[in-house]
Amino acid sequence: MRHVIDRTSQNFLIAQLHDVSAGIWDARAQTVAIPTGLPVQFIAAKFSIKAILDKFAGRIYPGDVFLTNDPYKGHCCHLPDWGFYRPVFYKDELLFFTLARAHQMDTGGSYPGGYFPNGYDIHAEGICIPPVKVFEKGKERQDIFELIWNNVRWPEGVRVDNYALIAATKICEQRIINLIEKYGRETVLGCVEEMVQRTERAVREEIRKMPDGVYTGESATDDDGSELDVPVWVRCKVTIHGDEITVDFSESDPQRKGFVNSVYASTYSNTLATIFLFLDPALAYFHNEGSMNPIQVVAPEGSVVNPRYPATVGASPVNVGTQVMESLLMAMSEAMPGRAIGAWGRHYSHFIYGFDPRIKQPYVQVLFEPDGGSGAVRGFDGYEGVTMLVTLGEAVKGDVETIEVRFPWRVETYEFETDSCGAGEWRGASGLRWEMVNEGSPAGMSTGNAEGETVHGVGALGGHPAPFNRAYVQRDGKEIPIRAHRIYSLQPEDLLVKVTGGGAGVGNPRQREPVKVREDVLNGFVSIEGARKIYGVVIDPVSSEVDLKATQRLRGNGKRERVKAKGKPRRRPRSK
Amino acid sequence: MFKVCIDVGGTFTDCLVLDEAGKFTEFKTPTTPEDASLGVINALAKAARFYGQTLQEFASKVYLLVHGTTLATNALLTGKGARVGMITTKGFRDVMEIRRGFKNIRTSMFNVFIPPYRPLVPRRLRLGVAERTLHTGQVRTALNAAETQAAIKKLKAEGVEAVAVCFLHSYANPENEQKAAQICRDRLNGVYVTASHEVLPAWREHERFSTTVVSAYIGPASSKYLDLLEGRLKAVAFKGSLLIVQSDGLVQSVEQTKKKAVSLIASGPAAAPQAARYCGRVSSYPNLISIDMGGTSLDVSLVCNGEVNHTTESWVGDERVAIKMVDVHSAGAGGGSKAWIDSLGLLRVGPESAGAEPGPACYGKEGKEPTVTDADLILGYIPEDYFLGGEIRLNVERAKKAVKKIGDPLNLDVSEAAQAIFTTVNSLMADQITELSTKRGQDVRDFALVAGGGAGPIHAAQLAELLGIPVVIVPRFASLYSAFGMFAMDIGRDYVRSYITAADTMDIPRVNRLFREMEAQALQDCKAAGMPSQDLALIRSADMRYLGQFHEVEIGGIPVGELTSQDIQALLQSFHERHRELYTFSMPFRGVEFLNFRLKAIAKKMELKLGTVAQGTEDPSSALKRKRHCFFKKSGGYVETPVYEGERLQAGNAIPGPAVIEEKTTTVVIPEAFTCRVDPFRNYLMTSQGNKRSSS
Repeated sequence: MRHVIDRTSQNFLIAQLHDVSAGIWDARAQTVAIPTGLPVQFIAAKFSIKAILDKFAGRIYPGDVFLTNDPYKGHCCHLPDWGFYRPVFYKDELLFFTLARAHQMDTGGSYPGGYFPNGYDIHAEGICIPPVKVFEKGKERQDIFELIWNNVRWPEGVRVDNYALIAATKICEQRIINLIEKYGRETVLGCVEEMVQRTERAVREEIRKMPDGVYTGESATDDDGSELDVPVWVRCKVTIHGDEITVDFSESDPQRKGFVNSVYASTYSNTLATIFLFLDPALAYFHNEGSMNPIQVVAPEGSVVNPRYPATVGASPVNVGTQVMESLLMAMSEAMPGRAIGAWGRHYSHFIYGFDPRIKQPYVQVLFEPDGGSGAVRGFDGYEGVTMLVTLGEAVKGDVETIEVRFPWRVETYEFETDSCGAGEWRGASGLRWEMVNEGSPAGMSTGNAEGETVHGVGALGGHPAPFNRAYVQRDGKEIPIRAHRIYSLQPEDLLVKVTGGGAGVGNPRQREPVKVREDVLNGFVSIEGARKIYGVVIDPVSSEVDLKATQRLRGNGKRERVKAKGKPRRRPRSK
Repeated sequence: MFKVCIDVGGTFTDCLVLDEAGKFTEFKTPTTPEDASLGVINALAKAARFYGQTLQEFASKVYLLVHGTTLATNALLTGKGARVGMITTKGFRDVMEIRRGFKNIRTSMFNVFIPPYRPLVPRRLRLGVAERTLHTGQVRTALNAAETQAAIKKLKAEGVEAVAVCFLHSYANPENEQKAAQICRDRLNGVYVTASHEVLPAWREHERFSTTVVSAYIGPASSKYLDLLEGRLKAVAFKGSLLIVQSDGLVQSVEQTKKKAVSLIASGPAAAPQAARYCGRVSSYPNLISIDMGGTSLDVSLVCNGEVNHTTESWVGDERVAIKMVDVHSAGAGGGSKAWIDSLGLLRVGPESAGAEPGPACYGKEGKEPTVTDADLILGYIPEDYFLGGEIRLNVERAKKAVKKIGDPLNLDVSEAAQAIFTTVNSLMADQITELSTKRGQDVRDFALVAGGGAGPIHAAQLAELLGIPVVIVPRFASLYSAFGMFAMDIGRDYVRSYITAADTMDIPRVNRLFREMEAQALQDCKAAGMPSQDLALIRSADMRYLGQFHEVEIGGIPVGELTSQDIQALLQSFHERHRELYTFSMPFRGVEFLNFRLKAIAKKMELKLGTVAQGTEDPSSALKRKRHCFFKKSGGYVETPVYEGERLQAGNAIPGPAVIEEKTTTVVIPEAFTCRVDPFRNYLMTSQGNKRSSS
């Protein structure tokens, strides 16, 4: 399914960055297979399917396709993620549902892109589509589509992508029917049931191995985009008891005016995705309803992790989505130090909307390229280059050559930044430096899909967080600071510079093997100064060799420095 | 005079010789891993003995030697390539380590406990120099020669064995890259130098840089091996042409291959589908699934309408290789694949393999884990006394003991456990085939299955039943599958040029110029390889997509000569149709864009003719060797099964299942639903009655 969407869509987010998901559910909305995608787009899709089953009871036919992007009535994450659901029938019996969901290039609302702060309510964020039928019995409902496409910018592009998603659900339907024809209805349904039960047993077994107890974690986003510079906190309490886990977010902040509110379905998805990371990696391919049953998620209504209509939710895949996952990484790393995981580099994107004089067409540019890589895990350094935690490496980046052909911007630098990784016995991946020049017309820029300038995610077992993200525009020799969650205008010849922090570390950096620190110095990931100050490793600047004696002196003759096992999210001190 | 094809695999060097009488003879010798060229000579010596000649006499009569080797692939997969340095556009030296954020290439997103990617060129050997070309091809900043020289000096001091020159937009204008590569070649004696526009002159820097770095990484070892091989062949008086199998399933001279070492990736497996294509042609099946099931892995590829499928989207190990390659999908499912029980309590097979050492439990060596071969033995499919023609005697008791280890926890007796292993590996293979065919938009039921490799013919028919495929073809030289494919291969080369343009504003003279340029290059290369140019067939294609899409579709059928706007219109029509065929919809309302223009130059050659065997009747009984108990589910379990001796079968023989055919290097299993017919070339054609799909 993913392959068909990839090959045929025209939207940079979908085709290049893989902001897209797919899966299969049964007729009771039980999750059968959630192979791949962005957690918020599919793990909780059972809630959307339940909504469709309730609303259309007795009116669901073969050849129907449903569409929704409504966070409240359709349990979707935010408005740009449109999900196409197809019921799968065999001999007139509804047996399964399949879904293809992806971030559309536009969804209407005040600004292009879907990540603009300060919307009055959900309706200001774009067209809000409750579960509706866009195909009935195989026939396209053109008036509904026309109404929808009339409310988005670039309707032609959105139309292409919608067809790509619908085609993917159709291929999935064909494959399911082939399977039933081959093995028979009873066998297929029996296998699904067996698979769910086996997965549940295995997941419960894994949970039983975890030490019973109560573990806590917290994380904050820079602000809610409306009330600037006031962090928004997500706090979780994880109770492991026997073979069950309860995650309680009751201590989190109340819902906000700004666009960071994460509906229950999104909070649920991110919570499960994070807990899956702490299970036996051999189970990674098999998650389904059975993996979900032993895990309960409590999020009080009216909170930032379960807001009431009509709260805005635009930024929640990034802001608060990340925080849900980071707070859980913190709590679960405490419960399972053998599988400790550091926070990843925080998302630092933008939407630039302007005019491309070369083709005399408007454009919207969104880039994942500047994101710092993954956090370290116990046993391994972070994975370089990958984009934000909430995608778990499923979303990818583009090519500079593609960007330059498609947008009137020339890229000047795309490299790792020295000393931008969170230090640790296992260090996080590096942050990046991204510089590009506007060769087009004056343009607008929204930095709604960015954070990590004032608060960052923590490391584990004494690992350090990465440096904060920062950005500026260089214009006429002057540096104009750029901050997250704001709107800017850009001029021709502006140089936009972004410098990001990478992933957080795991373990005390002073226990990192000196040869590894030396490697990092030789490769320019860590400076000689950083090696000395943070890792306690002295590198001779001339020979580039480790000065073992000086290192030992600095590290205290192998005497282990006491470290706090658990970090605490720090806020950058308010400057100036 | 002889024509010889030699495929150097991980375990065996396969050698197939065609003599003047049109008769093929097969030879297998052990691969010599330290210096594989020695194994090639050993194979030739074995052939010479067979023909009663000295090695020199024999070698001097070989007019054509086609050679495939896993050397380059192995060097890449085992991390045994060269120390590579990179000179790149300043500000972009991390492109190949960021690698577009790809992480979950062979793992699930829910597994974060994996080591980070280790780039083939460490960061300190990736050096930026001031230079810049734009996507229009305009040089914005000329190459800074002083910085280039300083970079070279540093790389020299670091002792690099190869240098990859990788600049942004060099596909649009290679001027800066050419200059830098020239300076490297002038200053770095004995260092392998390659530039991205030479390896893959197509846009998208991560894909181009990565491919170029792979080429540099395996370049020195490949050159060394090819030089050594040429030297050894010369020493035994070989005077014919030596041609090397390329990733795209074509062959090339040694000189050209050395320049573009990345084209040696999958040399060998790339030839296998040609064997399938050949079998399809002689038995009139244009759509084929080719499987090559050896000891450790299964290679699957597709032949559609008589053409081998290609892709530019491969990952080899942890590296992105974006040249056009035969689309071979590999999975860890072979005779040596181990059976085990996972944490869900499910029986799994592979990817871990017992390989040749220690080998499956039944080999009687150190191996104690149950493998597919052990299961095959217990089910009676392979003979304990005639494995590899009797070279290895198999031990059933040891096989049973090993299989019992997975049977006990599953509450299965040994025979049931062996069946479970057999079914599991078949399902695994079926999944791989379905994945590949579905991705390419094909329905497997329209295909015939061609089975090669030692283990392929044992599993093929029951695999076909699972997939609903009615026809299975086992080629005459099934266990020397790739070497046989080399006989059926075209000789030629692929060319590509990028020109990104919307169809309605396309500069048609520019396209004509690009094709002329590639054609001139093809003629030149053809001359250099000593082929007469009038035998050259030039096949054009273009990569196209709807405006705004990110992936393209390759459209063939472009006429030769000057293209007109009418030709372009026809091309657009083909594109809409192909898009619908592949993805279930087309969008005529949308503009279309061209990206790459491609040329494939192939030498026309004589049709390959296999020698025929004696014509017999339908009755195969004269080849009956013995009877033994084999397991066939629909017959109710172990039944007395006739076993035929392959070498004694005659054309026209029809063997109803259940039955087994024993050959020296493989066994063909014919289940109940199939009848196996022997064709005049002694290929086996198994067809199922009524094309009924099995249900379990």
